[in-house]
Amino acid sequence: MSVYRLNYRAYTGKVTPLWMRIAVIARYGFNEAWSSKITIGLFILSLLPPIIFLVIIYLANNPMARALIGAGSPDLVVNARFFLVVLQIQSWLALVLASWVAPRLMGFDLADNALPILLSHPISRFGYVLGKFIALFGSLSLVTWVPISILFVDQGYSSPVPWFGNNIRLAFGMLAGALIWIAFLSVLCLAISSWVKWRVVATGAIFAAVFVPSGVGAIVSAVLRTKWGFLLNVPYMMSQLWQRLLGAPEFLGRLGSLPTLAILIMLAAACLVSVGMLNKRVRAREVVRG
Amino acid sequence: MGIIELNGLEVQLGGRTVLDGLTGELQGRAIGLLGPNGAGKSTLINTLLGFHLPTRGTVRVFGLDAHRDRAEIRGRVGYMPENDSFIGNMSGVRFVRYMAELAGLPPGMALERAHEALFYVGLGEVRYRKVNTYSLGMKQLIKLAQALAHGPRLLILDEPTNGLDPMARQRMIQLIGEIRKEGSVRLLISSHLLRDIDEVCDEVLILKGGRIAALCNIEAERRSNRSFIELETVGATERFSTSVRALGCECASFPGGRIKLVLPEHVEARDLYIIAAEQGVQIRRMNQRRDSLEDIFLRAMGNTPTGLPTAPNEIERPAHVGL
Repeated sequence: MSVYRLNYRAYTGKVTPLWMRIAVIARYGFNEAWSSKITIGLFILSLLPPIIFLVIIYLANNPMARALIGAGSPDLVVNARFFLVVLQIQSWLALVLASWVAPRLMGFDLADNALPILLSHPISRFGYVLGKFIALFGSLSLVTWVPISILFVDQGYSSPVPWFGNNIRLAFGMLAGALIWIAFLSVLCLAISSWVKWRVVATGAIFAAVFVPSGVGAIVSAVLRTKWGFLLNVPYMMSQLWQRLLGAPEFLGRLGSLPTLAILIMLAAACLVSVGMLNKRVRAREVVRG
Repeated sequence: MGIIELNGLEVQLGGRTVLDGLTGELQGRAIGLLGPNGAGKSTLINTLLGFHLPTRGTVRVFGLDAHRDRAEIRGRVGYMPENDSFIGNMSGVRFVRYMAELAGLPPGMALERAHEALFYVGLGEVRYRKVNTYSLGMKQLIKLAQALAHGPRLLILDEPTNGLDPMARQRMIQLIGEIRKEGSVRLLISSHLLRDIDEVCDEVLILKGGRIAALCNIEAERRSNRSFIELETVGATERFSTSVRALGCECASFPGGRIKLVLPEHVEARDLYIIAAEQGVQIRRMNQRRDSLEDIFLRAMGNTPTGLPTAPNEIERPAHVGL
């Protein structure tokens, strides 16, 4: 098979190992996600807060700026609470980015029924989903733990030596908090996107999946006078988890503190449901029962 | 060893037995898969690709178990599905390259082969257009291109001429014929169109109700079924029959001057006219046909074609015909 001869030629060259096919799915997924101008726009938007925080860190560590603003100003203290705010802002921006990217990753394959062709190649359904997961997880990493870690390193570099060593827990807490959040978000968004063919509707469904149960949870808590309704409230649960990971004061605790184990179990359960949804949907062939 | 070995294969889907005890060995260069709707053709293809787990029995492709070794089999197989199946947002060349990389080709080689495959199927000029802007015929061709790009050993084509206009169909059949001639690729073609199978296949598997209704080599079948001729004559019919028998034909006479005969290889219809002219017999009507794939199919389905001569074992045989 060659362009000028127009005849068929069998392939006898080397073949990549099987695990590389997952990387192929991830690479094409990443490319698909970032080929949109809206993705680029959201990414730039997500980098604006870290730039502002970078300026704050600079001012907090600059004697001249501290003297001008006032040395005791609470806005110029870089501590657990500061990084909690950074983590929260970046995490919710990650939700916005995920709600746009995930439907792109799944939607094009589903809209044109590409799964039979994709899965007829040497890649399993698990490999396919894992590849998409890596693409989304990687994209969300660029707006969560990567800029947050840069801020932390910058603060450690700018401040006197003991600060870095004394606050290393913050770095691990932020990393763990961000990884838990984007892993949860990636699985949830892929699952919802796999069930909704229309990308705009899928974006709306992702927001609904995060915020509608929060409202239901609030009603349950109010009616039954219990704190357990907050287990349906993803923003509330995540805020509590992040506070504990960073060792920040619990300013949401007055509503009802949830056990960390319960939060983790709830997140794991949501992930399991999402995996079940993916397992049901990502198939080369649908079997009609009866 | 055959390319595909079926050993009591049974597949149940949704509580219904779709394939029921298929046993056989497919070894043709181009194998046709025929059967009415719901016969189990697509299920068999999906089972070969490892999409369905056999309930009982086994199926082997290139000697590998279709379910256990599905990754290895899929690497050696190119699959062109029946329905639309592509990523419309990608350009043609990017889509084919993606599929080739998934099949295991390194990125550079995949790109090279994608270009080649697209030129080969005749989509070279439109390879940078997005796939969702392609016509139906182009979409069929790009499915073929992606199935070919990684150089498979077995090409599974599910209804390759579906929805194509006559020109596009001819082009597709020609391409399949060329691939077959090249010799390095075996073909499994599922189609409703007997003509397509007839033109390119040398072996046919006919399914009916999830069971094998026929599995035969088309060429061998044709060779074994000699030419049948039905004549309507006026004149000395008995003498004519005797003369024809002397040529080596198997012949049976019926009232009203009707004669049915089987021509051996060395006798042609022209010889009959010569004998008739010599004996003053008028040949009013002559029906001549070879056993076609349609006959094989209809026999497999349990319906003999009406008004046409049938296979030797089904022809009415008067006592004086020595077969």
